[in-house]
Amino acid sequence: MATVPAPAALRWTERYPEIGTGPLPVEPYISPEYFALERERIFRKVWLNVGRVEQIPESGDYFVKDLFICGTSIIVVRGKDGEVSAFHNMCGHRGNQLVWDEQGSCRAFTCKFHGWVYSLDGALRHVTDEGNFFDLDRASLAMTPVAVDTWEGFIFVNVDPQPDESLQDYLGAELRASIAGYPFAEFSSDYVSWYTDINANWKVAHDAFAEIYHIPTLHRRIIADVYSSKGNPWANALEFALYGRHSRVSLSANPAWQQTPVEALAARYGSAVLQQVNSGANAFPPGVNPTGYPHWSFDGIQVFPNCLIYVSNGTYLTHIFWPLAVDRCRWEIRNYAPPAKNLAGRFSREYGKCSFRDTLLEDGSTLERTQRMLMSGVKKTIVLQDQELVLRHRHKVAESYLHG
Amino acid sequence: MTDVHLPEQFRDLQPFLAWSLATGSERSARRQASTMADIEAFYHALLPRLDAVLSFLAAYPDEDDLPADVRRLFHLALALAEVAPAVENYGQPSVVDGYDVARFVVAREPASGRCARRR
Repeated sequence: MATVPAPAALRWTERYPEIGTGPLPVEPYISPEYFALERERIFRKVWLNVGRVEQIPESGDYFVKDLFICGTSIIVVRGKDGEVSAFHNMCGHRGNQLVWDEQGSCRAFTCKFHGWVYSLDGALRHVTDEGNFFDLDRASLAMTPVAVDTWEGFIFVNVDPQPDESLQDYLGAELRASIAGYPFAEFSSDYVSWYTDINANWKVAHDAFAEIYHIPTLHRRIIADVYSSKGNPWANALEFALYGRHSRVSLSANPAWQQTPVEALAARYGSAVLQQVNSGANAFPPGVNPTGYPHWSFDGIQVFPNCLIYVSNGTYLTHIFWPLAVDRCRWEIRNYAPPAKNLAGRFSREYGKCSFRDTLLEDGSTLERTQRMLMSGVKKTIVLQDQELVLRHRHKVAESYLHG
Repeated sequence: MTDVHLPEQFRDLQPFLAWSLATGSERSARRQASTMADIEAFYHALLPRLDAVLSFLAAYPDEDDLPADVRRLFHLALALAEVAPAVENYGQPSVVDGYDVARFVVAREPASGRCARRR
């Protein structure tokens, strides 16, 4: 039976001495002051993943994103020239929120308050009863742009009026190379999505999905044996790599995984069952399944600060965690897969959706309980083992923004 | 007279027609509100027929212009996808120790046919 290659003499965390091996403080999860610093020095400064280009395929298609932590709502729109733009969702007249729908398609944005009209490029095109204004300067009243760029079809924005660096530089060459060529576009025309507002710090939620150590215990009823095997009972990772602010983990699957009866039929009639063991793992570009392991399951990419992208064979998913308050966040989940080929394939997709959702409900069970106990103040630190190094790294990167 | 039938070869599943619900939210709500005995009766009636049902449904590319009896069968199959974890993983209708499914807001369901191609 294939087993995970034994790590070298140094454990993963020890290969990155800058992130240390000691306990982490509880304060970042419970301190209002820490939360305020995160807002000002991280979320208002960095590039944030707000969606996919497939959400706005045609000129005039738009979606609205509430960036609670940045204190604004933005419109992301595909313009007449086919390019993606982003604007603060605000009328230049007296400040009304311009677009109220979550998504749509239009030729121009019309304010519901007094009827001002803006072009897709943000220019103020029409002012109702314009003659009654005084020295109105239309150019200065255009929609306020937000920095926007795309990477592998993901749309990122940066609310800093003058971002320190481009999205491509923010992501870095290593991260971009690691996933280059993965067929995101092929899988992205259809997705299922949930969100939920949780009474927990956004990092409590984020951290629950940034490590695999919990799977054999918390998920023992549903997916543990997809990953845990005789040779690798704790589902230790194949590889970790830190890429500046970001990181990647690569995971194996259990070669002896036994499917349930419905799961087996779902797998036979469709390709989008989330827990499929990926025997065709070498069909991907070299950066995916970096160790070339035959029983690969997925690679998890952590894009600092709040985005996780998990890619596997035939499907990928994203978790994005939006801070709402020090003890509250919105957790957004999307699972992308190619459209079903027929209604039997649609059943497979439905099974994948339901079993994935139930797995997420298991994950969700710990978050508010963890937050409550962290806020008790009983313990001042938490400890992390080697396989939890993504959390340690995320903390270290945040510290460099807050106190760098 | 209102036609409430399944396709001819699946009439044996007729007693479970109440599970044939059009939306994921309805199917989830029915699972959560059902007893385990009801869920298991449905699961054990449909599972031995599932291969035949899926083989039948595979002939239809999408939901567009679907005959009413086929649509009922399709929604019945989707309900099995919903209840399968209750039987196969949890032994109870809800996820054991799970986060409240009612707090999970469905932002988008999987699409079929034209909807999937559009957006």
